[in-house]
Amino acid sequence: MSGEPLLSVRDLAVEFSTEQGVVRAVDGVSFDVFRNETLGLVGESGCGKTVTGLSILGLVPSPPGRIAAGSIKLDGRELVGLSESEFRRIRGRDVAMIFQEPMTALNPVFTVGNQMIDVLRRYRGLTRRQARAAAIEMLAKVGIPAPAKRVDEYPHQLSGGMRQRVVIAMALSCDPKLIVADEPTTALDVTTQAQVLEQIVKLQEEFHVGMILVTHDLGVVAETCHRAIVMYCGRIAEKAPIAPLFAHPRHPYTAGLLRSIPRVGHDGRREDLAVIPGLVPDLLQLPPGCRFADRCPRRQARCDGELPELSGAVQDESRVACFYPC
Amino acid sequence: MEPLLEVRDLQKYFPVRGGLLRRVVAQVKAVDGVSFTLGAGETLGLVGESGCGKSTLGRAILQLQKPTGGQVILSGEDVTRADPRRMHRLRREMQIIFQDPFASLSPRRTVAQTIREPLDVHRIGTPAERNAKVEELLQIVGMRSSVLDRYPHEFSGGQRQRVGIARALALNPRLIVADEPVSALDVSVRAQVLNLIARLQREHGIAFLFISHDLSVVEHVSDRVGVMYLGKLVEMASARDIYREPRHPYTQALLSAVPVPDPTRKSQRIVLEGDVPSPINPPPGCPFHGRCPKAMDICSRAVPPVIEVGGPELPHHVACHLYV
Amino acid sequence: MSAAVPAGGLETAARAPRRRQSLWSKAAWKLRRDRAGMIGLAVVLVYFVAAVGVWTHLWATGWADVTGGKWEPMSAAHWFGTNMIGQDIYQRAIYSVGTAFQVGLVVAVLSTLLGALMGALAGFFSGRFTDEVILWIMGVLDSIPFYLLVAAIAFALTGNPYAMHIAMIVTFWTTTSRLVRGEVIKLKEQEFVEAAHAIGVPEMTIIFRHILPNTFHILLVQATISFVAAIKSEVILSFLGLGVKDGMSWGLMIAESTLEVLAGFFNNFLAASLLMFGLVMAFNMFSDALQDALDPRHVS
Repeated sequence: MSGEPLLSVRDLAVEFSTEQGVVRAVDGVSFDVFRNETLGLVGESGCGKTVTGLSILGLVPSPPGRIAAGSIKLDGRELVGLSESEFRRIRGRDVAMIFQEPMTALNPVFTVGNQMIDVLRRYRGLTRRQARAAAIEMLAKVGIPAPAKRVDEYPHQLSGGMRQRVVIAMALSCDPKLIVADEPTTALDVTTQAQVLEQIVKLQEEFHVGMILVTHDLGVVAETCHRAIVMYCGRIAEKAPIAPLFAHPRHPYTAGLLRSIPRVGHDGRREDLAVIPGLVPDLLQLPPGCRFADRCPRRQARCDGELPELSGAVQDESRVACFYPC
Repeated sequence: MEPLLEVRDLQKYFPVRGGLLRRVVAQVKAVDGVSFTLGAGETLGLVGESGCGKSTLGRAILQLQKPTGGQVILSGEDVTRADPRRMHRLRREMQIIFQDPFASLSPRRTVAQTIREPLDVHRIGTPAERNAKVEELLQIVGMRSSVLDRYPHEFSGGQRQRVGIARALALNPRLIVADEPVSALDVSVRAQVLNLIARLQREHGIAFLFISHDLSVVEHVSDRVGVMYLGKLVEMASARDIYREPRHPYTQALLSAVPVPDPTRKSQRIVLEGDVPSPINPPPGCPFHGRCPKAMDICSRAVPPVIEVGGPELPHHVACHLYV
Repeated sequence: MSAAVPAGGLETAARAPRRRQSLWSKAAWKLRRDRAGMIGLAVVLVYFVAAVGVWTHLWATGWADVTGGKWEPMSAAHWFGTNMIGQDIYQRAIYSVGTAFQVGLVVAVLSTLLGALMGALAGFFSGRFTDEVILWIMGVLDSIPFYLLVAAIAFALTGNPYAMHIAMIVTFWTTTSRLVRGEVIKLKEQEFVEAAHAIGVPEMTIIFRHILPNTFHILLVQATISFVAAIKSEVILSFLGLGVKDGMSWGLMIAESTLEVLAGFFNNFLAASLLMFGLVMAFNMFSDALQDALDPRHVS
């Protein structure tokens, strides 16, 4: 992945005003996404991965949230500070989003075809007939059988997996440069998930889009991503290409996560899983030093007082935010 | 030795009503003739995707849903025929842990009240003894007494799940149905709860019916594993054999579909066509024949019999025409 | 790195949880920040003190005495002047605050309790006989015009000083009941109710111990709405002669002031109307703030 980045995020900080104070859901996140690659954004609930994804599309609910600092540049164009109407022009055309729940994007009272045609006509200026043909072709591309029939069906007539594929088709139909997929398969059954993930990988390659895949599932990341960023408590813990990340995780959190996941076919069943003790800290009561310190087996005095920054430069392939990496 | 639990041909159908007179127009065959046994202290994992009926099966066994047909035999006694008084007594033997830690605890009851309730309902011991038992249970699940007066919303998902487990343990049941107990938890918390469950198996000899869609989790805690599809058990074997030598095409597809956190393993993935069908009026013959990559002619006509493909030491049942 | 961590991480998992506030204190905190609501509450409390004073005979005791001439204007002796017979309007208006609260509280509390009970039973047994019966009763009551029903009950209970209260309770409970029923239908599908079944908790206990407490936010808001509705209805009923018989109320004051207004004397009418308006408005403001504070989506 070389050349100019498609998306460039620098020092992004997103705050939410809650009744108990201001929470920094995203606290100083920087990364690049290039064309024709899939970047995984991994972490557990509350780590800030979803909010990061929403920020790129200007979808952070505001109030109570707001982008407090940082810059997000898509092909050189600054996205932070754009008005809603400007975002509306970018959404769908330059950046598209796929949500966990397909019904977030699908209107239940219109047919699938109607919705796709709507999008195609608006963004590609096609006639009704052209748009319909394009829609059917798109449905076929995402692997929906009998697309000419499906195009006239309503969302509730389709299964969850198919709805998600329709959403993917809609996202791709305007040839966006970047797609942000937020837990796109979490709500699906395992076998359906396999189908949809396969589609996503295939389509990413075919359409050469840049993709950000937000997920908590390390298995999904291993299957679909070229690079990945592990987030914890609003900050990046580690960033690396896929193979090294799984083979030699450097941040203790990443290592701990990988060890605590039960694996299929792994012998040594019934032995206790290696566990990350404790809980994710409350974002309202963050410690002054490393946020993972009180759960970390490698913790030292320095970790309690100082907040570790990512090693190296933004462009580096592998970076880790830890004073005593593995 | 007599098994702790024997399920014989269990059925649970839900009527679908339609038309002006609300007549029954179809049946949702959530559980369609399931049979298996469970020994004392054993853990049976039940896997399957949505609509396969595993959750309904768990509830039907506990009589939280009244079975439409079949029998549930607990230590030789037919639970489905128990009168209300006997059923009340039997509830002490079998308990349940739920999937959603946020919805499974009563929001306006403290932790102490929630864990004590089973003891109060069944009048076990004196009030002082019950309080002592509550403290003991908290210790078993790894929580401190300071949580006793707190309300569920003050805790995280993992902690709430522990409270739910403490509640399930209160009556010293011999069987616990765990319905997706870790699915709603964060990855790093899952391991904690799974270890706790594993400890309960070892130290207290409780039999578990572990229901989950997550194959890796099921393998980790189970002695034997059963695979369900559209209300039927399609395969059942020891945990090891299910994962090493899956025989049923569905099991094979299911196993290959699990995303593995290891990028070097480019699995030979079996991708199924179509979607998981709905259990309303399932197709005749084998429920899987519509998506099966190895379907034969007979599969669409006749329900496959259950074939024993393992040995007497390690039974391995498959319901598939391929092995007839 | 070996797995040197204790299995299950038990100790740290038992660390004190984050939020120490109970659900009620959180709501109270939110309520305090709603200025309109706080003003409303303050005004209501002032009225309430007045009502208590009336009940304990601290003031407004001379509301029926003829102490002045006909239609005297506002003066030091008679703050709002006198009515046609020469009674002090101010005392009568204050006495009516006592009546208003008495009617409001009795009706609000009892209709809410009745509505909660019926709604809980209907919701828990929804689709079954109990539900059908209760829904049918609700339907019948709702389809009879309110004032017709009140007149009928007033007639049937002639002489009973609580005829009006009973009539209101009998009609107001249906709204609460409907809301509670809807909420209970949702709640009974929740897993904590299933858990109670699994333990063997008897059904009635489940309803009152687990389900109803989770409807308190609805009940509280409905109670305040019923309070206001009761006061307003009482005014109309007394005006029509179907309401308060002994004692004084704003409705009666307004009724007697119709003739006076025609003759150009507005004090009586204005005193009653403005005082009533003040209480209703303040209570509404408080009720809105209460509803926002108790909104379960915001709490937790």
